[in-house]
Amino acid sequence: MGKRADTEALAGAKRAGVSKAPDSRVAEAPELKLVTSSKRQTILEGMLEAVGAEGYEHTSVRTVLARTGVYRQAFYDNFADKDDCYLQAYDLGVERIEAVLVEAAAGKDSWTEQLRAGLGALLDFLDAEPDISRALVVEVHTAGGAALVKRAAALQRLTDFIDGARAAAAERGESPPPIAPEGVTAGIQALIHSRLAAKADGSFHELLPEFMYFAVLPYFGAEVASTEMRAATA
Amino acid sequence: MGSPSAPNPGPGSGVRSALPQAYAVRSERERMLEAMVRVAAAKGYEATTAADVVEAAGVSRETFEATFVGKEGCFLEAYDAVIDVLVAHVSTAFESTVGQPWPNRIIAALRALVDLLASEHDIARMAMVEVTAVGEDARIRYRAALGRFTYFLEEGRSASAQGDELPADTARFAIGGATSMIFDEIRAGRGPELRQVLPDLVFAVLMPYLGPEAAEDEMRRVAREG
Repeated sequence: MGKRADTEALAGAKRAGVSKAPDSRVAEAPELKLVTSSKRQTILEGMLEAVGAEGYEHTSVRTVLARTGVYRQAFYDNFADKDDCYLQAYDLGVERIEAVLVEAAAGKDSWTEQLRAGLGALLDFLDAEPDISRALVVEVHTAGGAALVKRAAALQRLTDFIDGARAAAAERGESPPPIAPEGVTAGIQALIHSRLAAKADGSFHELLPEFMYFAVLPYFGAEVASTEMRAATA
Repeated sequence: MGSPSAPNPGPGSGVRSALPQAYAVRSERERMLEAMVRVAAAKGYEATTAADVVEAAGVSRETFEATFVGKEGCFLEAYDAVIDVLVAHVSTAFESTVGQPWPNRIIAALRALVDLLASEHDIARMAMVEVTAVGEDARIRYRAALGRFTYFLEEGRSASAQGDELPADTARFAIGGATSMIFDEIRAGRGPELRQVLPDLVFAVLMPYLGPEAAEDEMRRVAREG
């Protein structure tokens, strides 16, 4: 805990090579297998779309092939089975969300501005891609233990991102317990989960003001949290 | 529910015909629900079959099929019964502290919750972890179950200096946060030691209402008092 978690925290997103920040690692981004990787990409996206729309249980390899128009052989060239494909698709989806979040937060000066931009971008993604979001947030629970391990790691990165407030809070003499950012992530995750599960699609952006309140509150107190909530409403 | 006074000799039901039929029906249903809870808790929902439940309950397959729409129907009803018990238990703790400051009542309620979940950790895993993997209908029940706990938090608005300024989703945020923390503990196999996260749960539930400092004071008090 207490590590500086500005945009660096969501390291997974950097690996996706989407960040515009100059980064030596971008040069090593695996762009070599262009042909197979685009087919692979199509399958992974199709998997997320199918799982989000139809549920993990009801999605089969055949469903994904039908949605994507990819041949069966191409699927098995890339993946061992449905579970393997979903796990890789989960990584891709989470990387994409993290990239969107990191990109939005990059270049913002204060933590609260980074937070507002980052959470705003996250919520916009949920509005724009409800099926992919459902596949990642809701259906992950149906996909077995390995998927839940990945979920825990992704939530930890969000927790670290939120805990980026710690340094600024310390300057004001505030030092919330380590559980504070975990509680924020868990609560935010629960609100998102319940709307996605209820198929309340398109309703996410309106959550930004209260998310700001909940995330700012443990670090800067109720007054600042209220100010941030109002600022995000505007 | 059948009317208990309705005379129904139940042709050919042997020894059991001595009991009023409605009583026998209800008790078979309850035995199957309890069997579902025990079996699903012990081996997980996926691995549980209707045959397991039939065997554990000592009823016939026909009885099972006449009572529930498959394994999932039985599970959903069993789940509701488990939540009823949980809510009643938490409610008793909350009501037994009426007149005390709201944070004390929340602490009492959370303590009752973790104690019960820890002592029945197999059932807790079924009700909090397994249920999220069962499917659409189970998820609807899960959300409804969480909604039943918002009642305990409503008073927090008047305990909060922010009052009406608090976001509309504050109770759901607090419950969702606490639930996720419990979920993670149970999933990690730490269900029996759930009591250890009570201070963290106290912080997570009180913080949105009282702010970080007051919530941390309560958290430390709970950690000291155990």
